[in-house]
Amino acid sequence: MMIIDSNAYIGHWAFRRLRYNAGDTILELMDRAGIDQACVSSASAIMYRNSHAGNEELLEEIEPHRDRLIPFAVLNPAYAGWRRDLQWCRDTLGARGLRLHPSYHMYALNDACCHELVDAATELGMLVSIAALYSVADVRQRHWLVDPPDVPLQDIAWLVAEHPDARFVVHAGDSSGSDLVQKADELPANYWLDMAFMDPLYHKGLQTVKDRIGAERLVFGTSICFRYPESALVRMEALQATDEEKESIYNGNMLALLGQ
Amino acid sequence: MFEDVPLIDTHAHVMYSDPDADDSRQRGLDAAYVEAADVLGIDILVVSCPMVRKPTTPEIFRHANSLVIDAMQKWPGRIWLTTYINPGWTREAIAEIQRTAELEDMVAIKLLWDYNCSDPVCFPVIEKAIELDKIIIIHQAHHTNMLFNRRHFDVDAADVVAVANRYPEAKIIADHIGGGGDWEWTIKTLAEAPNVLQEISGSNFDENIVDMQLQYLGADRMVFACDCSMSSSMGKFRALQAGTEDKKKIAGGNFLRLCGRL
Repeated sequence: MMIIDSNAYIGHWAFRRLRYNAGDTILELMDRAGIDQACVSSASAIMYRNSHAGNEELLEEIEPHRDRLIPFAVLNPAYAGWRRDLQWCRDTLGARGLRLHPSYHMYALNDACCHELVDAATELGMLVSIAALYSVADVRQRHWLVDPPDVPLQDIAWLVAEHPDARFVVHAGDSSGSDLVQKADELPANYWLDMAFMDPLYHKGLQTVKDRIGAERLVFGTSICFRYPESALVRMEALQATDEEKESIYNGNMLALLGQ
Repeated sequence: MFEDVPLIDTHAHVMYSDPDADDSRQRGLDAAYVEAADVLGIDILVVSCPMVRKPTTPEIFRHANSLVIDAMQKWPGRIWLTTYINPGWTREAIAEIQRTAELEDMVAIKLLWDYNCSDPVCFPVIEKAIELDKIIIIHQAHHTNMLFNRRHFDVDAADVVAVANRYPEAKIIADHIGGGGDWEWTIKTLAEAPNVLQEISGSNFDENIVDMQLQYLGADRMVFACDCSMSSSMGKFRALQAGTEDKKKIAGGNFLRLCGRL
């Protein structure tokens, strides 16, 4: 079955060495896990003051591998020049999505600048990927000098409601108890949840989400090369779902979102 | 997973005992854990019942162990006991270890966060474990987040190494490399104590976490575990770049060796 990873990274991380963090080496990890394509953004851009420099690095890394690596831009709406950078990411990088890291870029999802960036990306036909803190690092091992706040799931619910024409992919922890799942009926169906950090076993968060909002609102993700891809594969194997539902999660939903 | 070696979850919990809580809150958790083990092909669960409310009195830790013993009777041979005690109650803790050690499948003693494991108050319990040839399993994590440090996660690998150096004959397992905290610091610290093994459980499945364990500790000093993070832990085990014989050791061989059952 074809697998598309909705949440992958290459580049450097300030707080520990990342292996498999170049355009060619991440393919080794993808091959090991049977991942065909990955929506990849710059890990370096998360900590650069000028995030766009990470997008420029990303272009060099993915260029030989465009058949498998789908570029996503990382931009900080509180930083200078993001409108020009966004256009460059769409036109030159070929970014299919925009990945937000509000925790590390120190803005809130309800800040005016964030709304402007979401609107601008949507006008360009880009997905908006929201990376909560845990999607790249575990808060329990944060660096002693850097203590970013997490993104409240309630803020994400609020953002998706404010932008019904946008399409969001949410990379967060277990969201089974959040409004994104429990009050999904009251929100526009314009967001998809990455299953990477939810377990279908024991506490059964992923199973709860699938049963509550349906497989058509879940996408496969791994957070490589920050994380091992195999844990997400085990979650998918253990998830109680039909083959058709699993295919939707593995690839169908993301293919539709990417317009492929 | 392997025909000749069982897959052993050396850090399992079928329930969390709080005598003041409504039992319905945790009803079914034991079955849910066993069901998850079935899905993942885990043969044996080494179970403790840690207290969520402190301080833990002898009445409470005896109750906690009895809950696990009930589960052992429900799934005979599938569940082995890690006896949980509060070492601050020395006489009662020793008596509880002695009581539960009469069970064939009592294999280990758990030190949680009642006291730092390097506190002398723990020494009689550690010496009792050595006398009975039982494994000592120590909760630890090196949290760099002050929010966690201010809570009860104040035992880290350096404390475990201090115990190991004082008791080189002790059989020690340090808990969950993926239980949060700076795992690189933890692995490098544990590397200095050859009589300490470490299990791989925890929700954190950072790339390289178990491969670095293998690099620094070696396959003879690693054991499989989940600690309720079922698929994260199984994913790490699958991801580990080790040969089949080393994976067999980690899956169950090392733990059986410690138990004298290999």
